[in-house]
Amino acid sequence: MKNFLKQISLFIILIALSCGNQQDQNSKRITLTYWSANNQDEIDLARSLVAEWNEAHPRVQVKHQPIPEGRSSEEVVLAAVVGKTTPDVFSNMWPGDVELYVRANALTALDQFADFDSVATDRFAPEKIDEARSTDGHVYHILWKTNPIMMIYNKKMLARAGFDKPPATYDEFFELAERIKKDTDGDGYIDRWVGITQILVTWWQRFFDYYTLYIAASGGGTLLDQQGDVKFDNEASVRVFRFLQELFEQNYFPRERMDARADVFLHSVVATRFTGPWEIRHANKFKQEGFEFDFAPVPVPDSSIKPVYTYGDYKSIVLFKNSEHPRESWEFIKFLISREADLRLLKLANQLPIRKNILIDGKFRLYFQDNPKMEVFAQQAQRVRGADSSPVLREIFDALSQEFEASVIYGVKSAEQAVEDAAERARLIME
Amino acid sequence: MKTKRDKIGYVFVLPYLIHFSVFVAFPLAFSFVLIFHKWDIISPMDWVGFSNFSKLVQDVLFFKAIRNTLVFLVIHIPLQIIIALALAEFLNQKIRFRGFFRASYFMPVVVSGVVITILWQQLYAQDSGIINSLLVKLAGVKLPWLTSVKLAMPSIAIMATWKNVGLYIVLFLVGLQTVPKYMYEAADIEGASHWQKFRHITLPMINPTMIMVVIISTIGGFSLFIEPYIMTGGGPLNSTLSAMLYIYRQAFSFYHMGYAATLGFFFALIVFSVVLIQKKIIERENIY
Repeated sequence: MKNFLKQISLFIILIALSCGNQQDQNSKRITLTYWSANNQDEIDLARSLVAEWNEAHPRVQVKHQPIPEGRSSEEVVLAAVVGKTTPDVFSNMWPGDVELYVRANALTALDQFADFDSVATDRFAPEKIDEARSTDGHVYHILWKTNPIMMIYNKKMLARAGFDKPPATYDEFFELAERIKKDTDGDGYIDRWVGITQILVTWWQRFFDYYTLYIAASGGGTLLDQQGDVKFDNEASVRVFRFLQELFEQNYFPRERMDARADVFLHSVVATRFTGPWEIRHANKFKQEGFEFDFAPVPVPDSSIKPVYTYGDYKSIVLFKNSEHPRESWEFIKFLISREADLRLLKLANQLPIRKNILIDGKFRLYFQDNPKMEVFAQQAQRVRGADSSPVLREIFDALSQEFEASVIYGVKSAEQAVEDAAERARLIME
Repeated sequence: MKTKRDKIGYVFVLPYLIHFSVFVAFPLAFSFVLIFHKWDIISPMDWVGFSNFSKLVQDVLFFKAIRNTLVFLVIHIPLQIIIALALAEFLNQKIRFRGFFRASYFMPVVVSGVVITILWQQLYAQDSGIINSLLVKLAGVKLPWLTSVKLAMPSIAIMATWKNVGLYIVLFLVGLQTVPKYMYEAADIEGASHWQKFRHITLPMINPTMIMVVIISTIGGFSLFIEPYIMTGGGPLNSTLSAMLYIYRQAFSFYHMGYAATLGFFFALIVFSVVLIQKKIIERENIY
């Protein structure tokens, strides 16, 4: 009987101890919330990375959520910041918005972590670290991925027009445009064009025409200088405006929206378009039998410095200030930007990580061998620029877009006047 | 003497009071406070006094947006009233498939504005739109429906009329059915023509409906937003930039909440004044 009682007591003590341990473990376990973009590729990527992290880190668990639905991810993040419902980590921040959140004291400076410098220098060239630096000197976001804007072209249409390689300069582009322009059904109206761009004045549409071409024409210039002053009222801007103006004036580009009909590029209605690497998967999925396409840098003025720069369409990873576990979140961010995670970003989401030496790093070589079109983008990614860091950048782009419409699309203003007026308006906005 | 039943009444109106407080009274009071502040949603508010008003009076684009909205109203309201009244008169006759026609005309009213706008965007497309395809066959021309400064707003007005006309047909039908039959019988005995009966009996008798239709369509017209937002983005050259679209941009594209609230109040004042003037004019024209 005594033995039985001893055994029972021992059993109870063991149960109590194990419960205590369990409670202790539970009290130490923390959960981070991570928001990714909500397209299926990135959801799959995030799920795969989070599952691996959670398995390796039982004490720091990550709960993944695609960013809630909204008109744009920027609006959802803004609402979350105001409502103090931000996640710990978010991986789809547009760098142009970072300064706005820095001023609102919503982001954690990442360079406060002791190992930031080693992590950053391992991944980035020094100029990229400076590109991400805020006006207060700190770094609040990690440039994660880039979609360099290039020119996609229809190989057969170009070949029929007598071009065995894509046009590299404005003059070559005009020559191609003249040969492509056609009225195929004889109704007296042109129905084949060299290219197309969105005629809506929505501010961000200018990333895919004026801004990309401006970065290329200026050899990597952006709208603002390092002091945050307007610097785009220059010869490169005027040339880009003139180039685009002539494309519309000569009917080389259609003066209408074609986004409500079947893809005009894949149906050989236009021969080129300025776009990013997302087009590869889209084109391969929807192209017709025998359709061939490739990518080239966007055209530049004849005298421009080579090699060609372009707009990088960056997305960054940020750590929000209301995170209760910044150190653990930083560890998770380091995991998201590891070489292994970057390879998965390429394989699962078809998007380019911002990483130096990606083309010579053995880890990525096989991927680029299997995906030669992505290699073209990876090469271009060595020469990209993002958007300037300014809380009024949207308004500056809106001012440019208004002038773009007046001068380029409707030709009611000269290129010089449009650039001058946009710069004047931008300076007023910054005051 | 108060009874328990009196108090129960308050409970019944409570849901409405809560709704009114949360969704009407508070936003209205808050936007009034915003008028005197500069606020970008995430930073603290800055008191700016009347500077939003001085910005408003110098804002050329806002006044252009108001002018565009008025252009839309001038085309849209008469067009809508004429078409709705003609169709209501037609559907008020004893015709075959009357129920089917009434339902058909009302259908666009219940379909999402976004869907209709996208549909009309395709109809209006310069190169591939059905309207231009027909025009090329009939007259050999294509019209830049949405890309011409002169045509874009009338094109939007035609589309808006097509979408909303069903609602006004129903309202006019109700009005037409309240006209006493003996009036038409008396007119028939006097030898009045169809037009004379319409002009001197129908129109005066449906005047209250007319007032309602004009006021509702004016207020609806002033809130023009979805159509230019989706179809033209306010272009070409800001010719379809409506006041609501401009206010929306100030608030949600550039986060100028204080300025957007000021524009909103000023615009509400304009709508109120226009509706008041319309009401006075239409009531005065009540001729029997």
